[in-house]
Amino acid sequence: MTERDDLDMLVAEFVLGTLPASERAYLESRRNEDPEVDALILQWEERLGKLAEETEPVQPSPALFAKIEKALDRVESTPREAAETSNVVALRSQLNRWRWSTAIASAAALVLVAILAFQPQPEPQAQSFVAVFQNNDEQPAFLLTVDLKEQRLNIRPVTAEPRPGKSYQLWIKADELGPTPRSVGVLGNDFALDEGALSNYDPALLKEATFGISVEPEGGSPTGQPTGPAIHGYLYPTDGNN
Amino acid sequence: MKPDPDQLPDNANDAQSFQAPPDTPERIAELIHRVAQKDRQAFALLYQATAPKLLGTVLRILRDRGWADDVIQDSYLKIWQKAKQFQDGKSSPITWLVSIARNGAIDELRKHPAGRTTNSDELDEMPGRQTSAQEQLEDQRAANQLNHCIDQLEKDRQDMVRLAYLNGWSREDLASQFEQPVNTVKTWLHRALKQLKRCLES
Repeated sequence: MTERDDLDMLVAEFVLGTLPASERAYLESRRNEDPEVDALILQWEERLGKLAEETEPVQPSPALFAKIEKALDRVESTPREAAETSNVVALRSQLNRWRWSTAIASAAALVLVAILAFQPQPEPQAQSFVAVFQNNDEQPAFLLTVDLKEQRLNIRPVTAEPRPGKSYQLWIKADELGPTPRSVGVLGNDFALDEGALSNYDPALLKEATFGISVEPEGGSPTGQPTGPAIHGYLYPTDGNN
Repeated sequence: MKPDPDQLPDNANDAQSFQAPPDTPERIAELIHRVAQKDRQAFALLYQATAPKLLGTVLRILRDRGWADDVIQDSYLKIWQKAKQFQDGKSSPITWLVSIARNGAIDELRKHPAGRTTNSDELDEMPGRQTSAQEQLEDQRAANQLNHCIDQLEKDRQDMVRLAYLNGWSREDLASQFEQPVNTVKTWLHRALKQLKRCLES
């Protein structure tokens, strides 16, 4: 199976609706950056779109359109340049959700990255995964490898440098762990982290989970949640057959 | 109590009080293009023409009216902002609109899975191919082709595809209903989707 087929199936499941939240978020952010992904999504939407005809229309309450118009007034009264972002942010807080693609813009944001196991079934699952955490989407900042079988992690810096008075902190987020990221640990002076820090997590959960690294005050986040700017990257299986 | 139409806001009134032209794909596409030019009147007409379809879609997935209303509001603001991205050649207009609402609903559901529960009654609600007379007029050939292709799938997989697409069931929901491991469900879905793609291209 080729990488393209994998992407096509990921997109197909995205459109069908069966992808987990982390993979949906991953694809939605890729869609904004990659016209090819957007085109694949539109193709699958066209393929499956006729299914929607099976759903009966439901009349909305008359009040709903008035609410939408009011919200639109707010959007349009904001200066043009700020409109796009401020509206998106307003919507997000309204619906209380977390969108990875723009989360990086907010100070407390932690951009987490899906571990995507692009493994053809039913071949054996890759046991080792590597994440490249990139700074400014240019140079790799960190490499994280996760051995799912042994539940061992290894993290090492590539271009990341120690920051005086600051610590790097690794986070995990998964549906089963609740809505907020959970700390895996604070990286030591030599960027080291206990290799068993993930041993309490189920391998299946780790595979679906998302990871991120944030910059925190020395010693780690004072709040238990990421507070500083984040570095993000993508996680790939290392022994896949792509 | 019936509201006096004169008291309704102008653009809510327009489409409710007189017979709108038929909602052909061409008309919907034209409205989307006008919305892209920030035409509020077109936005009101587009809402009138399509909101019932979008709400039906979202409500079937979320099964909660207030939740669905929030997603619809969000969806129409997105439509307002994204209308300039709509391209006639690449998307049919109603599919493009429904996709924005479906994506919003499924994103919500995946992030707050406790918001609703699935049950096997939904399986019985899978009627197969019921469409209203008006919808049947719309592009019947393509609808028939998709249904024809779905009919060629194994029965379980037909249900899985419909439960996922129409009711927003996750891999886990399907796994528990069909008593299969999640990975098996994923494999079945991939096979079904590939088979559909091949069939639609043939």
